[in-house]
Amino acid sequence: MSQNPQSIDVPSSCSSESDTNERAETENGTIYSHDSGYENEMCCPASPITVPSSRPRLASSTNRRQRTTSTSQNTIRPNEAIIRCNQRTIYTAGRPPWYNTMGQQVEPFVIGICGGSASGKTTVAQKIIESLDVPWVTLLSMDCFYKILNDKQHEAAERNEYNFDHPDAFDFELMVDVIKKLKEGRKVEVPVYNFVTHAREPHTKTMYGANVIIFEGILTFHSAEVLEMLDMKIFVDTDADIRLARRLKRDISQRGRDLEGVLKQYSTMVKPSYSNYIAPTMQHADIIVPRGGENIVAIQLIVQHVNTQLQLRGFKVRETLAHSEMQHLPMPNSLYLLPETPQIKGLHTFIRNANTSRDEFIFYSNRLIRLVIEYALSLMPFKNVSVETPQGISYEGKRMSSTKICGVSILRAGETMEQAVSEVCKNIRIGKILIQTNQQTGEPELYYLRLPKDMKDYRVILMDATVATGAAAIMAIRVLLDHDVPEENILLVSLLMAEIGVHSIAYAFPKVQIVTSALDPEINDKFYVIPGIGNFGDRYYGTEPNTEYS
Amino acid sequence: MTRSSDNNMGNVSAEVNQMDVDFGKNFKVLRPNDQIRELQTILRDKSTSRSDFKFYADRLIRLVIEESLNQLPYSDCSVVTPTGAIYDGLKYRSGNCGVSIVRSGEAMETGLRECCRSIRIGKILVESDPESHEAKVVYARFPEDISKRQVLLMYPIMSTGNTVVQAVNVLKEHGVPEQSIILSNLFCTPVAAQMVIQHFPDLKILTSELHSTAPNHFGQKYFGTD
Repeated sequence: MSQNPQSIDVPSSCSSESDTNERAETENGTIYSHDSGYENEMCCPASPITVPSSRPRLASSTNRRQRTTSTSQNTIRPNEAIIRCNQRTIYTAGRPPWYNTMGQQVEPFVIGICGGSASGKTTVAQKIIESLDVPWVTLLSMDCFYKILNDKQHEAAERNEYNFDHPDAFDFELMVDVIKKLKEGRKVEVPVYNFVTHAREPHTKTMYGANVIIFEGILTFHSAEVLEMLDMKIFVDTDADIRLARRLKRDISQRGRDLEGVLKQYSTMVKPSYSNYIAPTMQHADIIVPRGGENIVAIQLIVQHVNTQLQLRGFKVRETLAHSEMQHLPMPNSLYLLPETPQIKGLHTFIRNANTSRDEFIFYSNRLIRLVIEYALSLMPFKNVSVETPQGISYEGKRMSSTKICGVSILRAGETMEQAVSEVCKNIRIGKILIQTNQQTGEPELYYLRLPKDMKDYRVILMDATVATGAAAIMAIRVLLDHDVPEENILLVSLLMAEIGVHSIAYAFPKVQIVTSALDPEINDKFYVIPGIGNFGDRYYGTEPNTEYS
Repeated sequence: MTRSSDNNMGNVSAEVNQMDVDFGKNFKVLRPNDQIRELQTILRDKSTSRSDFKFYADRLIRLVIEESLNQLPYSDCSVVTPTGAIYDGLKYRSGNCGVSIVRSGEAMETGLRECCRSIRIGKILVESDPESHEAKVVYARFPEDISKRQVLLMYPIMSTGNTVVQAVNVLKEHGVPEQSIILSNLFCTPVAAQMVIQHFPDLKILTSELHSTAPNHFGQKYFGTD
């Protein structure tokens, strides 16, 4: 078998610290198809930011993966965040909520696609992604799980004598582990298989569970454990002659191999494996799709079914949050409101006033932020200590019991609070999470993530300037939990919160401490807090659009 | 009221509460919490490095200054927010100034500047006579109209209260009414509190801690002249 410069490694919109090199970062990830017909404004956040329409192309060609199985379509490129098809462009947009309004994980819908080599599995997967009405799909290929070959096997592979179509070629244990974690919505490191060295690359792809996970490969139905995790099983049944014809065409014209070699490999390994291991698993399939990707009727049926299933699982967070009926409940115990002193009210008067100049806005915001951060720190655990003083007496005081504190800001407005944290905590580590609102769906989406290593050992001060529905904060907290930060170690700080947002966050995560300097009663249709501050980030950074807030 | 506010009140140690009552309504201690306690502990600790000392002193000063500003007079004020809604806030009156007592009071000037960028700041230098040990004012420079202003008098350590008494006397000589003066202080002994209140019952005092021993090394360590 030979090579194809295009791999199906899918790009990621959120990579974390574990990505140790740039290449891994640009290459790894997930395909999040995003239903959108227009380019730059496809995801217009509350405050417009420029969302890159494509990722930087991978410069190095030496590392390009060679493929021995499965065809990859020109429409899926590893290094671009877009899938182009017909007249539509699908973006790998930010990650929408993968949990319900209670902040609990919603189990993703896992689709397994099985079929012989060159049967059109990828095309089917792609058509499903295109037609699905969800913005977040993870595509996982079985190719990631090829075993590392020893020298002898490696040489055999060079002579086309290693059987890549046999179940023994795959690491099923790892496969089960990865799918299980994805299904739990956890972060996983998926190996990147190098078909030249027949070993795993030192870097891995970081993937997260999605609304829908598609797992495709020639032997996806082979393991009973994998089968159990699949919510829907699709077998792509393409005529053997057509598959051989495609394979010949691809290997000879695109990969420069000779007819004899391809035929030898086909008859000694590909064909027997299909008959022995692949075809028999057809009995597990819920749906058999004859003719592969051309079969529009079958794909439409599949899509309809998946959409129904997703609706039943209930993804739609922000709207539900905004309209939930928690308004009239007493405020939760986890809320720590700064005592409303004249001075805090005075600072709020400055920053809430629409006529305040930016210079003053920034100045008074910073003062208020400092007070909020100082107050937040007082909620950390402390221990009693006794120190010696220059006056010769000992002094009974307090020291913070944990020195491992880090700040995480929710971009963009949360970034305004970073300076204050750094001023108060020497050498504090600061992580960042970019969450923006998708104007089409009104849902928050996760775009970017950078967190300190060993996140789980830290107490986290999570910063966002304002909290309206709480949707972004809930997503950020969910991200921290997915990185194994204990819920009780998270402290959410903010200048202004809407009551409904506090209720939603406290309901979802009762152990998260919530600190704010003011609490406003309402939010409007555009999810702005009333009376509120307006768009904090825009006013702070001076990027206000010329539109009204209401 | 949320739990937080209750906690804040509840954490006041019995000692401080007692003192509070004794010194009347014009004597205030910064709402204590563990975080402030840690700052005080670091400043008290003789093993604290100078750079740490300055860092944490500045943090405590900032908190004391913010709380001092809280004592200033204000009036109600409603503003229109960018969403078009009305916010009922308040506005501080203009006509304030700061006065620092040289040298350690100057450590608090930065904190004040960080909160009020262009505030006028006067200075008083009080020295104790080497023979009689009596505090004497040797230098004073104020804004001209100081008698019409609210004055934030800054002095971090009070152990006897003599220096502050002298400084307030000078302010009064310049026509500043006692009730227009707010004394910002970090560490105060009960003796000093007693002394100052006895002389000036209408003066407002804000401190972060009442303790029988004052950390007298403050000025030396902050300015690095120890």
